Amino acid sequence: MIKERVATAPARADLCRITVRGKDGSEEVFDVKRNDLLLKAAIEQGVDYPHNCRVGVCGSCKTRVLSGKVSPMVDLALSPLTNEEIQAGYVLACQAKVREPLVVEAKLGRHALLPVRTVSARVVRWHRLAGDVIDLRLALDTPVHFNAGQYCTIAESGSFTRRSYSYYDVPPEEGAPAVEVGFLVKRLPGGRFSEWLFEKDRTGCKFWIEGPFGIMGVDDPDRDGLCVAGGTGLAPILSIVGDRLKKSRVARFTIVFGVRTANDVFANDRLDQLLAAYPDRVRLVTILSHEPASSAWSGPRGLVTAALGKDLGVDFGEVAAFLCGNLAMVEAVEKRLVELGVQPDRIHADKFVPSGTP
Amino acid sequence: MLDYTKYLLSPAILAAHAYGLWLGGNYVWLGMAILLGVLFLDAYLPRDYSMRDQRYVRIYDVICAMTVIASFVNIFFFSWLVGQGHFATTSSSVGAFLGTLFIGFVIGAPPVHELFHREEFVLRWLGRIGQCLIYDPWREITHVVTHHMRVATPDDPDYARRGDTVYGHILRTFPGQWKEAYHLEKMMWTKRGRKWYDPRNAWVYKAATLAAFTAILYALGGFMGALLAILTLLLGPRMLLEVFNYVNHYGLISATPGRFEKHQTWNHITPMVRILALEITNHAGHHEDSYKPFYKLEPDTNGPVQPQFLLVVLLALVPPLFFMMIKPLLKHWDMHYATPQEREIARRENERAGWHELNAPDPARDLPAGIWNMTAARATA
Repeated sequence: MIKERVATAPARADLCRITVRGKDGSEEVFDVKRNDLLLKAAIEQGVDYPHNCRVGVCGSCKTRVLSGKVSPMVDLALSPLTNEEIQAGYVLACQAKVREPLVVEAKLGRHALLPVRTVSARVVRWHRLAGDVIDLRLALDTPVHFNAGQYCTIAESGSFTRRSYSYYDVPPEEGAPAVEVGFLVKRLPGGRFSEWLFEKDRTGCKFWIEGPFGIMGVDDPDRDGLCVAGGTGLAPILSIVGDRLKKSRVARFTIVFGVRTANDVFANDRLDQLLAAYPDRVRLVTILSHEPASSAWSGPRGLVTAALGKDLGVDFGEVAAFLCGNLAMVEAVEKRLVELGVQPDRIHADKFVPSGTP
Repeated sequence: MLDYTKYLLSPAILAAHAYGLWLGGNYVWLGMAILLGVLFLDAYLPRDYSMRDQRYVRIYDVICAMTVIASFVNIFFFSWLVGQGHFATTSSSVGAFLGTLFIGFVIGAPPVHELFHREEFVLRWLGRIGQCLIYDPWREITHVVTHHMRVATPDDPDYARRGDTVYGHILRTFPGQWKEAYHLEKMMWTKRGRKWYDPRNAWVYKAATLAAFTAILYALGGFMGALLAILTLLLGPRMLLEVFNYVNHYGLISATPGRFEKHQTWNHITPMVRILALEITNHAGHHEDSYKPFYKLEPDTNGPVQPQFLLVVLLALVPPLFFMMIKPLLKHWDMHYATPQEREIARRENERAGWHELNAPDPARDLPAGIWNMTAARATA
């Protein structure tokens, strides 16, 4: 299958033809201006290029260059690519300036991307949950569209500090824009944004949000889902599960939710609502990593990977997996799921990476 | 051909400086006198938004590389002359030192910066080696990675916030750069599975280069020759580069770190400064695409412009005067260039600096709209 997009504005001589080959034999062709960043140019043309953070941190836009030349904006050793991947010709599309026509290997999506917008908003809910988590809800001055599993960056009005959080809401039906969005914010000791947010009730504060970004919740609607969330990684999982339950009458979901102790289990009300609304289609496994041995907890203990085994009752060869949590957790879960027979193409991951600035 | 020959001005001044040093006596002031003369003349010239001829671009590269090599020759020559006891009088000693220092900043540093941004192997290698001319081979990594990614935010050690003086900036920026350079170097050797002392690590190469450079200075000029040469490099190009960074991004704000917008930097678009600084003062184009060679940079015809470069650098050394100059410009930027989100950050930054008057519109005294527009500049010229 070859799809071609027609380039318009720049002269042909300034354009580089990008041929994206998928492992399934598909091929898509589009043109970008010479010296443009590959990912940015692709997204601007509506190409559903895999991506998440767009600043060289998450590695979602990992792309293998088969022919042609790109210039990485920074030394690739400073990216999440492994040394082996760098030597095998992988680059990050978000950091790659296109110098020549390219043939690259990447898995493109088949969905129209939503436009990124920056809008102002006000805090309408600031509620402390267990486990040092805040349920932060913003009423948007201009409604925005987003897809399940996507994220945006938020910044308090007047502050340089911006952070990325996933929406926990299910996108409104019929393609309507959302007028309110919610996030789960974990307190990070010394973290500039989370410490400020936890300091006092921020209801009424003005924020700016930019988004939506990322692609995570996309797979066959009727396919059963295995969702693994570490801490506030639960946010996009709530969004994805809620959305897919509405879009399919048959898909079932197993949510594996990892937190440290029984006292850290947050978002019970949201999970309970989900379980009550779909008792036959949603299952929740909460696993605690640091629960004292003497406690009354009778559920599973250990890291989330400990809950992933044959006795989970999931057909690993058929499920679509959605993972969200910190980088180490997601990488460990990805490895475990592949061992259990999940197809790598069906593992959809969102990795939390600290901002790098305190 | 004029576009090409313009850039010979830098090697010509270097040659004049070397000749003056050779003649000794009061002639040691020759190079600096010419340079200052050119910069004073520049202050009276209108802004130059022209693009360079693109037909024989290799000529530009050759001139740029030649300027780096000539700068090496100059510093070695200075060290040797010091070692020979060539500068007998106080005037000649001071003149030789100040001339080498100032010329090292205005003429020596720009081609080094230009080349370490390049993609061609030889030019980039020369740029990296050339960092000996600022006596800091680690400057590149924090510049290319940290500065270009986080420009106009406090996460960039090269950035000065509103209210910061140049002296405070220098005290903050050096530790910030060292910390960041260590963090980045460590990340690279860790990723590649190497020990910190692995000879293949970039820092080892940089340290070896600096050691070899120092050894050459010592061999040519002995202890005093090497010491004075290194001091000219540290106080000139190295320190004054931070003054350049201080003025060039002063107080501007980015609400989208990692995605540069042209209005997030100051520019100095006067003709001679563009030539001597190899277009680095044509700064929006450089930040928009840091790989773009200097001769391809397009001056931003509507971008924020500061007064002439030399004047701004001198004002920076006297903070009250610098603030007097920059405040109306920042207020103008807030009103006409900042996005709504950036304007709100600017408002808080003004409060932080105690510059509350910048948050209060004053139609009678505020600068009119369009002062940085190219058409307006031509009309007033």
